[in-house]
Amino acid sequence: MKRDVLERVLWNLSVDRFSKVKFKENPTQYLSRFPLGAEDVRMILEFDVKALQEAGVSPLLTLGYWIEMSPDRQMSTYNKKLGSESGYSGSIKG
Amino acid sequence: MAEIVGGFLVPHDPVMFVARDAAPAEQAEKVWGAFENCAERLAASGATTVVIVGNDHYMLFGTTCLPKYCIATGHVEGPLDQLPGLKKEQIANNEALATAIAEHGSESGFDWAVARSFTTDHAFSIPYQLIVKRAAELSGREIKAVPVYLAAAVDPFITTHRARQLGEQIRDAVLAFDSDDKVAFIGSGGISHWVGTKESGQVNEEFDRRVIDLCCSMDIDGLASLTNEEILEQGGNGAMEIRNFICAMAASGAAHGELVEYQPVPAWVTGLGLIELRV
Repeated sequence: MKRDVLERVLWNLSVDRFSKVKFKENPTQYLSRFPLGAEDVRMILEFDVKALQEAGVSPLLTLGYWIEMSPDRQMSTYNKKLGSESGYSGSIKG
Repeated sequence: MAEIVGGFLVPHDPVMFVARDAAPAEQAEKVWGAFENCAERLAASGATTVVIVGNDHYMLFGTTCLPKYCIATGHVEGPLDQLPGLKKEQIANNEALATAIAEHGSESGFDWAVARSFTTDHAFSIPYQLIVKRAAELSGREIKAVPVYLAAAVDPFITTHRARQLGEQIRDAVLAFDSDDKVAFIGSGGISHWVGTKESGQVNEEFDRRVIDLCCSMDIDGLASLTNEEILEQGGNGAMEIRNFICAMAASGAAHGELVEYQPVPAWVTGLGLIELRV
């Protein structure tokens, strides 16, 4: 679990259009370009934002990649994955 | 020489735009009204240029380069992260002043990262569109804006003490700038808010009031003495943005601050404080 590579991948998936397209086409193949371990790949593919934050990834990036790439993009789901019952609806970085 | 006419400390809460109706109507009205109030005050100040001190949110700067402080010296547009009611546009930068600040810095121990063509995010564009652009409309005169970005949301953070020194350097550069510009400063950010963490939605009014008191009394030493641990625990990762306040306060040289409005709005995930810096 290397924070630097995880953050590079999540930054790409938050803001880079080419990366977003390639990830959507074939997530596993896209991630194979990076020196990630099996657990790193699992965290990203399963949108395990809690584990990613515990690995040191900035919450701004877990939020950005969630909003851009997750299946339902709902903040309520994001909050549940973090172990929070927060009902706030704002779905953007602040 | 250029003249400094004051400034403001204001939030840049995007949730105001994406979930306008989430906040209680009375609070929402007060916050939107406070931005308009700031625009009216800026229009009345005679300002011709506003230096807006904000911070990236891990959108503009990626893992390949994370500058501690950056100034846009040329073309400016934004925001990158458009919101309902906050659309991307071209922005009139005071390129001569921005370049002078960077050059003054390089001669006085401040090695600015320079953006020759820059795209802002909401940290710049919310105060720009709600206050600066609106003040230009109200006054009928052009008001240019210079983006300054500090590392206040993504580590490694600029230290609070360096943010103060940087503000003082900006002030020196402005006062040495040979023009008839009237310059104001906006510190954009805060106050308490937790971004992307499980605490999101919490607001710490006690912490916010403490910060507001320090700002209104221009107690930069008090603000700068807050440790990262203290800020993160009591104000959340979003409150690290008080670095932007410190920089703008130091740049303004204000005598005191005047609270325009404060509203703790959990539905907008932020304690929203707006302060005028009066010279």
